[in-house]
Amino acid sequence: MSSHREAPEISKDPVADNTDTYAFVSPDKPNTVTLIANFIPSQIPEGGPNFYEFGDDVLYEIIISNRGKAQDDITYQFRFTTVIRNPNTFLYNTGPITKITDATWNRPQTYSVTRVERGKAPQQLASGLLCPPVNVGVRSTPNYAALAAQAIYNLPGGRKVFAGQRGESFHVDLGSIFDLGTLRPFQNLHLIPSAAAAGVNGTQATNVHTIALQVPKRDLTVGGHDPTDPKAQDSVIGVYASASRQRSKVWDDNNGWQWHGPFRQVSRLANPLFNEVIVPMAMKDRWNRVDPSDDNQFAQFVLNPELARLLPVLYPGVFPHLAAYTKPRADLAAILLTGIPAGVVPGFQNFTGTRQADLLRLNLAIPPSANPNPLGLVAGDPAGFPNGRRLLDDVVTVELRAVAGLTIPLVDPSFSPDGAASLIQDGTALPPASNNLPAFLNTFPYVPLPGGGYQTMPGTTSP
Amino acid sequence: MKDTSRRGFLTVAGVGAAAAGVAAAVPSAAAAAKPPDIGDAEGPLVAYVTDVRTSEVALLVGEREVVVHDKDLVARLNHAAKG
Repeated sequence: MSSHREAPEISKDPVADNTDTYAFVSPDKPNTVTLIANFIPSQIPEGGPNFYEFGDDVLYEIIISNRGKAQDDITYQFRFTTVIRNPNTFLYNTGPITKITDATWNRPQTYSVTRVERGKAPQQLASGLLCPPVNVGVRSTPNYAALAAQAIYNLPGGRKVFAGQRGESFHVDLGSIFDLGTLRPFQNLHLIPSAAAAGVNGTQATNVHTIALQVPKRDLTVGGHDPTDPKAQDSVIGVYASASRQRSKVWDDNNGWQWHGPFRQVSRLANPLFNEVIVPMAMKDRWNRVDPSDDNQFAQFVLNPELARLLPVLYPGVFPHLAAYTKPRADLAAILLTGIPAGVVPGFQNFTGTRQADLLRLNLAIPPSANPNPLGLVAGDPAGFPNGRRLLDDVVTVELRAVAGLTIPLVDPSFSPDGAASLIQDGTALPPASNNLPAFLNTFPYVPLPGGGYQTMPGTTSP
Repeated sequence: MKDTSRRGFLTVAGVGAAAAGVAAAVPSAAAAAKPPDIGDAEGPLVAYVTDVRTSEVALLVGEREVVVHDKDLVARLNHAAKG
């Protein structure tokens, strides 16, 4: 998945597992930017009685690089605290929860937000903010939309924040892709063929935990300026999110696990699927540990991606041009590691300099699209991925097609992409806004409401 | 890890914490001229010998880390760890 369980170590630590990161100019407030970091993958809505929650022992961060050096120039930190109101019950809630302050919620979680700007003292923006409870069911958390809306807070400086459970926005045919690179709509052409079929969204009906922050654009730029020129390099920011744990974990016979020492990054995420399908397995844990400013050590895997070599093997005769292409993939390096320089895509750039780093790069001067196209920039919508990333962007299709060679002509006009490069997809899409399935909200935090435990029907399985 | 050696390890960790405090108060010849300040924290302290050969010890207290190089401290910890 985008970054769900994408590396061996973090797959064992879901509370700290950063699953998706989004950054986009807010469609209803275009003078602001919305930053979203999702954690705790693949939650089944009925996962009680110990429902999902943020880790009190994890430092969650959304990080902005605005000087072209891929360094942490502005960081928003989120720290969580959980209490048990009634220690004598096994229940998550002892009655219906209609307000997030209700005493019937037995395990409330609060958090603080701190802004750290390079060279300045940290500024705590708020503390004691309540997360909403998870969506337990119609009796425990009736009218969940209204309940969760109580957990949207205004912060000083025109900022907004929300932290809590939400529905999964990322879609992918997980079951087929990791079964030897199968794309169901094209599996009749696979090395081990079967009849073509519709894609199956492996993330359907799952939840995640979202941290969403909306800030004025000037909160993120060098010198606090309001970017208006799409051609200006200082209109572009780099974004990533991370989770960190303290260095030492010691078992205390009286108090359980005890953590000591400074925080160290254990998970990070900017461009979807980077660590998942670009970085080799033996280096995935290391990738999670290092900062984006040290990503040049991984550039070789972008310039010569394994997936581009696999496609012609898995789909014999379908990608002959890609198979014959031996030059380093400068197109992917631009998309994933430096941003796209001016002159490559007419009227567009999100170049942050020559420092190679996996960052979501967002040109803040490009307004939101009135008719957003899920295929984003490659479909002529410059407000979409890889110019930042919106919730609706179909990043699996975009990246599949890019790896398959569709974007090579941007930097190498002598290359003619294979016909399949503009067609391949995994065949999944977000479910329609019906039957209690996720629907994006029109206002902050935009992320779909989480599926309810009572309302969600388990899927089927087959040996 | 056998339980006997686990207990031994925990004992050593306790010795390490105490010894680290001594080392901070009275630097040995091998230690830095001025010991790093680990503050007045009263909570538990973890001493992690990152490399016996370089005598490097990371002292983890609260959310802070202080690294010292103390050959005598590491030698005593190493000796104690052998039971």
